[in-house]
Amino acid sequence: MAKPVIEVRNLGIEFYRSRRRRMSLREMVLKRQNSAPSDTFWALRNISFDVAKGEAVGLVGGNGSGKSTLLRMIAGVMLPDEGHAKVRGRVAPLIELTGGFLGELTARENVYLAAGLHGLTKEQIDARFDEIFDFAGPQVQAGMDMPFRHFSSGMQVRIAFALITTLDQPVVLVDEVLAVGDRAFREKCYERMENMLSGGKTLFLVSHSEHDLRRFAERGLYLSSGELKGDGPIDEVIAQYNADADADAAS
Amino acid sequence: MIGVSQFRGLMANRQVLRTLVERDLRVRYAGSVLGWVWTVLDPLLMALVYFVVFTLIFTARQAGHQPYFLHLVTGLFLWQWFAQNMSETSRALLSEARLVRSANLPRELWVVRVVLAKGVEFVLTLPVIAAFTIFYMITGQTKLHWTIVLIPVSLVLTFLLSVGIGMILAPVTVLVNDMARVVRIVLRLGFYATPVLYSADMAPPVLQTLLALNPMSGILELFRSGFFKGEMNLLSVASAVVLTIVLLLVGSVVFKRLEPAVLKEI
Repeated sequence: MAKPVIEVRNLGIEFYRSRRRRMSLREMVLKRQNSAPSDTFWALRNISFDVAKGEAVGLVGGNGSGKSTLLRMIAGVMLPDEGHAKVRGRVAPLIELTGGFLGELTARENVYLAAGLHGLTKEQIDARFDEIFDFAGPQVQAGMDMPFRHFSSGMQVRIAFALITTLDQPVVLVDEVLAVGDRAFREKCYERMENMLSGGKTLFLVSHSEHDLRRFAERGLYLSSGELKGDGPIDEVIAQYNADADADAAS
Repeated sequence: MIGVSQFRGLMANRQVLRTLVERDLRVRYAGSVLGWVWTVLDPLLMALVYFVVFTLIFTARQAGHQPYFLHLVTGLFLWQWFAQNMSETSRALLSEARLVRSANLPRELWVVRVVLAKGVEFVLTLPVIAAFTIFYMITGQTKLHWTIVLIPVSLVLTFLLSVGIGMILAPVTVLVNDMARVVRIVLRLGFYATPVLYSADMAPPVLQTLLALNPMSGILELFRSGFFKGEMNLLSVASAVVLTIVLLLVGSVVFKRLEPAVLKEI
């Protein structure tokens, strides 16, 4: 059997309930110790699962159940306190889309810089440049040499989405970004995601939209207050989540 | 071995590093009309002020190496690079929080990138130092020594020292609110505790020993040795090399230790 693309073992991460970590020097010097209570909680604990190549996994759970934290650890932008999350191959994180973009530079410069950050060489970007701007749409194309901050926020996200999905990385992480963009663009995004899936990419999707989850994911993972409660076909997992949510509402 | 894996990670991402440095320079020079002039103007004006104060007002006969203005220019330019490294690396992770959160790169990169970008700016100011040197050579007030070849060594040391201290400052500033203020005060004091305005051999012996504990003092010694005659203070140079290596190792340990906590905060 081929090795899993995403391998998560006993993953745990601990957060401070208070702002203790954000220490102030005055506090440390004057009070000798921190005034803030030092109790902690585990945002995620004992999480283990594998994702095989080409699988599409939807992550389900209420607010604060640790979905985004889990995604960040898989993306490698947060480090676990216990266990590990290993990814074989590079990741295209659709998490903070416009994170790598700078307002002062033009859209064109930004595309080169952000793609460079994700490991593309100049030649690779040259080759994909037209594809990126074709996807982002004609309005964006017309303003290629305009400072990035002059774009509307929707347009900014369009460019970022076009760029990250053009990177061609084997693993794609999506955190609630499908809700952005107007109707026409959303359809384009869906299409592109489907193309990526049929192209053998591994997809990891966080969403509250049952429609999106059912459309893309075959398998579901259900997180509830930091624990992995369910792992199975997406329909069953959604049903489990809904039953839990209804039970909570009733009690 | 400490630091080796970090170094490998950085080398694997040198393309990204280049991109980031280019971005920094582009942003810095895109937004301002005078661009490069600002980098040169600040230390040049300060050199002028100190020159007037010490040679015309205090009329100190022996303020530093002669010609004193060249002494000031060499010192202030290198100090400016170092001081900017300190204040910028301490903000390196905070100011790029969005990027740090969204790109899976070795986090040391954010520190190295700042020092490199400032280093490029510094190298671009070297022609100004060269111009003054040529002027003083033509007027017969100074001549170059073979030790001028040590300049690259001093620059490499400044780079490594800044990266070492930066790897301590950057994560600590994320976790401790008022670190940025501390850095500012220490820098201001450090300016006088470094032989920028004066030269180390003018100080009484006790202070000379203390000065040798300041790594920038030995680095300046190396940097300036080609421009002025006189013996190099080998003790302070040796101590600068040792301290640089120690701080680099301490920095990489501290950085690795604090990294998980920093990523939670940012």
